[in-house]
Amino acid sequence: MDFSVVIRNLPYLAQGFAVTLETAGLVILGGSLLGLLLGLARSGHMPGVRHAAILYIELIRGTPLLVVIFLVYFAIPAVSGHRFTAYQAAVIGFIAFICAYIAEDVRSGLASVPRGQREAGFAIGLNDRQVLCLVVLPQALRRMIPALFGQFVRLLKFTSVASVIGVTELTGATLAVNAREFKPVPLLTALALAYFVAGYGLSLLGRWLDRRYSMIR
Amino acid sequence: MTFSFDWGVLWRYRDQLLSGFAVTLSLSILGLIGALAIGILAGIGGAGASRPLRLVAATYVELARNIPLLVHLYIWYLALSALRLPAFLCGVLALAIYSGAYVAEIVRSGIQSVPGGQRAAALASGLSPRQAFRHVIYPQAFRIVAPSLAGLFSQLIKDSSLASVISVAELTFVGGSIESDTFRTFEAYTAITVFYLIAVTGVSQLALWGLRGRAVDPAMRY
Repeated sequence: MDFSVVIRNLPYLAQGFAVTLETAGLVILGGSLLGLLLGLARSGHMPGVRHAAILYIELIRGTPLLVVIFLVYFAIPAVSGHRFTAYQAAVIGFIAFICAYIAEDVRSGLASVPRGQREAGFAIGLNDRQVLCLVVLPQALRRMIPALFGQFVRLLKFTSVASVIGVTELTGATLAVNAREFKPVPLLTALALAYFVAGYGLSLLGRWLDRRYSMIR
Repeated sequence: MTFSFDWGVLWRYRDQLLSGFAVTLSLSILGLIGALAIGILAGIGGAGASRPLRLVAATYVELARNIPLLVHLYIWYLALSALRLPAFLCGVLALAIYSGAYVAEIVRSGIQSVPGGQRAAALASGLSPRQAFRHVIYPQAFRIVAPSLAGLFSQLIKDSSLASVISVAELTFVGGSIESDTFRTFEAYTAITVFYLIAVTGVSQLALWGLRGRAVDPAMRY
């Protein structure tokens, strides 16, 4: 196979890869933060908040990512009049999407901490917030590492969907080069390889962190 | 800000919406059948005793699931365009191979969750390895695997929306064409969202109903 088309366009493709990584980084940060809050709201006891969180999680989990992106990019501006750029819409859509899945992982992580831990925390005189932040969360977060990295790998792959609304991330850049040179075989092979390396690398990082911080042997 | 909704538009396009829904469902069902065929083989290989087979299964799983579905679709549609496969078939193949990797992992962990003593006991009581798998391991593994497979099917229905990108006229594609015909963007995308919610909720309710009393919580098995 002749990969010269990939090498000739390497700077452009590398730029696309940088956008992919940047998007994934932003979404990992935003999605984890929102997912944590949403998961806490979902596991908490405030009735209104809890039900709102359940509704949001179930709605998002029943909707395809592409449709969420279209809603943010096309449908919301049609109603509100405010337009996002394609990149903003993609990042907002990804965060809105992945945080619902992360929230479910947070919920099961919180539920996996034995009740006795919480009770012991209260017994030694900690208040609600201290029990959550000093006793429950540190244990829950460690148990959540494999599930969280599963979501991170998933959203790294999902960033490719941004190309559909015209963001020039890795997939968009590759398709643009292909439209000019029409060499789909080497270009798509390189594209698949790049995602594989990034995704597999991320899951290896997750496994390493899990071995290092996991409490269950 | 004055925005008036016009939901009547959707009624005029009901035929397209329903045919898009039908395409989404057939795409997902055919994709699921393919994914099960590939995934069960790869899962059994991955849980098996043969080292080369395990390696082949693991390579397939890691390759297929670390590459975005969108790239799978483009590989079949663009890179293998010499095969001249229809877009719908490209969609089915991409979904089957991509989701097959997830099925393989579900099946593998299901088989491995059956304690080794079960197999040893089956062999000791005179069953052949094949019979041991068919009558002892499989029924136990199935109960553990079935709920995850139902979840995977919901995921597959949602993933099938990406086939719109290679011009398969499924639900999301229909939503886009209603939007460009009428400029009723919000109504069009809300409508297809509702269709997806119906499909996904339907699958999970059906699974709950079908697995009533059959699926077993792994912690409650003994």
